[in-house]
Amino acid sequence: MDFSTVLSGFAVAFEPQNLLFCLIGVTVGMLIGVLPGLGPAATIAILLPITYTLEPTAAVIMLAGIFYGAQYGGTITSVLLRMPGEASTVVTALDGHALARKGEAGPALGVAAIASFIGGTASILLLTFIAPALAGAALAFGPAEYTVLALIGIFLVGTLGSGSLWKSAAAAALGLLIATVGLDPLLGTPRFTFGTDQLADGIDFTIVAMGLFGVGEILYNLEHRDRPQPAVPSFGRAVPSRLHWLRSRMAILRGSVTGFVLGILPGGGATMSSLVSYAVEKRVAKEPSRFGKGAIEGVAGPESANNAAATSSFIPLLTLGIPANATMAVLFGALMLQGITPGPGLMSEHPDVFWGVVNSMYVGNLLLLALSIPLIGVFVRMLKVRPGILAPLTVVITMLGAYSIRNNAFDMLLMIGLGLLGYGMCKLGFEPGPFVLAFVLGSLLEASFRRSMRLFGGDLTEFVQRPVSGTLVAVLVLTVVVVPVLRTVRARQTERTAVD
Amino acid sequence: MNPFPRRGLLAAAAVSPFAALAACQVQGGADAAESDFPKRAVDFMVPFDPGGSGDLISRAIAKAAEEPLGQSLAVTNKPGANGAVGLKELLAGKADGYSIALAVKSLFAITPLAVDDPEAVIIDDLRIITTLTNEAYVLVVHADSPYQTLEDLLAADSVNYATTGVGTGSQLSAQLLFTGAGIDATDVPFDGGASAVTALLGQEVDAVSASLAETMPQVEAGELRPIAVFSEERSPFLQDVPTAVEAGFDVVVDQRRFIVAPADVPDETAGVLSLAFEEAREGAEYGQFLQDNYMDRWEVDNLEAKTHLSEAAAEYAALVEDAGLQLGDGA
Repeated sequence: MDFSTVLSGFAVAFEPQNLLFCLIGVTVGMLIGVLPGLGPAATIAILLPITYTLEPTAAVIMLAGIFYGAQYGGTITSVLLRMPGEASTVVTALDGHALARKGEAGPALGVAAIASFIGGTASILLLTFIAPALAGAALAFGPAEYTVLALIGIFLVGTLGSGSLWKSAAAAALGLLIATVGLDPLLGTPRFTFGTDQLADGIDFTIVAMGLFGVGEILYNLEHRDRPQPAVPSFGRAVPSRLHWLRSRMAILRGSVTGFVLGILPGGGATMSSLVSYAVEKRVAKEPSRFGKGAIEGVAGPESANNAAATSSFIPLLTLGIPANATMAVLFGALMLQGITPGPGLMSEHPDVFWGVVNSMYVGNLLLLALSIPLIGVFVRMLKVRPGILAPLTVVITMLGAYSIRNNAFDMLLMIGLGLLGYGMCKLGFEPGPFVLAFVLGSLLEASFRRSMRLFGGDLTEFVQRPVSGTLVAVLVLTVVVVPVLRTVRARQTERTAVD
Repeated sequence: MNPFPRRGLLAAAAVSPFAALAACQVQGGADAAESDFPKRAVDFMVPFDPGGSGDLISRAIAKAAEEPLGQSLAVTNKPGANGAVGLKELLAGKADGYSIALAVKSLFAITPLAVDDPEAVIIDDLRIITTLTNEAYVLVVHADSPYQTLEDLLAADSVNYATTGVGTGSQLSAQLLFTGAGIDATDVPFDGGASAVTALLGQEVDAVSASLAETMPQVEAGELRPIAVFSEERSPFLQDVPTAVEAGFDVVVDQRRFIVAPADVPDETAGVLSLAFEEAREGAEYGQFLQDNYMDRWEVDNLEAKTHLSEAAAEYAALVEDAGLQLGDGA
């Protein structure tokens, strides 16, 4: 590998103009991440016309900054308001918000920012050294592999809840059901659309997440006004304690690697990585019971994972010309508008753009860390606002967010409906986390499974015969069947010895 | 004097005989009757997701049309059901020319074959302001595929092919071709061009039919091989690739994009808009955009455009029925 191009990429990234656009990008990204509803894909699309006049590298540096900046910003609302704006921050909301309720919002956000920084930076390093070698990995994942991956994800969802396994499973089943709304992906048959084409494309993830988590939570709190509100420390300290740090560091390390690997897969990589990271942390923890009640590892792991995944999701775009998610699809368009074709030729034809953009991400992550730490103090004070004022304000912002996704008032009604459902679930002790994640993975599972069946002519054994999906099936069987069975057996043995 | 009303008259005269009549009346009548459209910004609705081909082309043409129109164009995305959600809203609004939208041929000619919607928007509900592009579908195989030509592929025992979705030109073109050739072919719909092309790059399927914009980057990189184009004439972007028609299969499927307003928008207003967009189409930047995105120009008058769309709808329906095809199960 020729490292002179990598180094000249640093020269490009450090040009004053590119530094400025990097700063603009990450700042805008962080802000839209904080605002629920307005996602990076839409923001980048809106800003596209502005980039016509920019030099290609500067344009892409800025747009990329919006994307990974939004990952930092999304954490803030997840932790403070329990309102995840992106599928990849849903799991952060679980323990992050529990920490906020215990008055540890500052350290939670501090750890999240540091984890994000480490995850992002580690991922860029890995990208620099092994991106070309890994490019093919995205192609090894066909419908069969996605089917098994989504299935693993849905089983992992079961480990999320802090309460009853059956309630988690029921909530997840409901999420799977809601995922079927819209036109059938293979036949075009309308399902649960009640004759309106407003529902033809299904329900947007953000609507589901904001409804169930955000609105549902607010309604539930209104009923329990005597329930203790998140305690706010006198000063929003963002510096994590020694204990926080000790508990987080291995989680961050594991999360970074998980995120990098899963982020390379187009479609659902970032969500899966945060979920896998959470599940792994819960498994390796000495007291898994702390999870869901404010375990800092449950924030650190998934946050490093989703940022590492955000970075590595550039790999399929830049090396293969395959957009891994909606935001990458818009970036694809942005590059095309600049006369640059993303794909196998990019690295040799436009090394300045490729390495300029990649290396600007080091700068961007550093800027985001520098921006986050002082801002955390400001954001945490938001919790000091009386619930009577904060709640309606949040609802208004959420409604605007819901409208902005498709510029559609119908989505606002839909979100209120889902909010009522979220309230009902809260009241009956069902958690929204499994619901929302199963909803995300459900469409992936269904479409991938049915595509596989068409490709295989209905032969289920092909799932085991293909090397990658076969390996994944083995992983699935190990984690879902073998480990729990062994655990139960061992638990019985210890019980018996205790009795003896 | 404000130059726009005059331009409006000229445009109206150019667009239809009715408009010409209206223009005569105005010239013969008082100045008060003269149109001063547009007085404020015009809303340009894109009934597709931000970042897709439909969004990009809308933003490119809107930018080029602002100067000739003398007002800004506010582009908003209102995606859903291949454009049906947005166009229904356009029709529910005022027909004053301040609301216009992008529309695509597939919504009128192909979607009805797959999805049954009794309240579907029909082309007669709309007035075509300007036609924009014609994008050919192309059948591609993987560069490592044993199939060098269309004949090779059609000689295979069985073929799995990816489409960009149910009820798309991608699905229709491939189904018509494979049914016409009488081979055992399985259609695997993906969600959009990117995922269908990814499946082909990973050699999960043998072939995919997709638009030039979706496939050309990979073709140019040498990863995919084009073996047939579903247009009447060879594509200027792929001079060496034969059409399906040349190979003896009468399959011509393309996507066309155009700008519409509600049908009862006043002729004069429509004329002002038409003229502005026609001037915009001549812009160098817009031309470069089409070139970079492998889009062909489709620049015909309102009447010809309408005829083309209605004929295409009837023709596709007949072809599908003759071949005994089923795109979806909704219709």
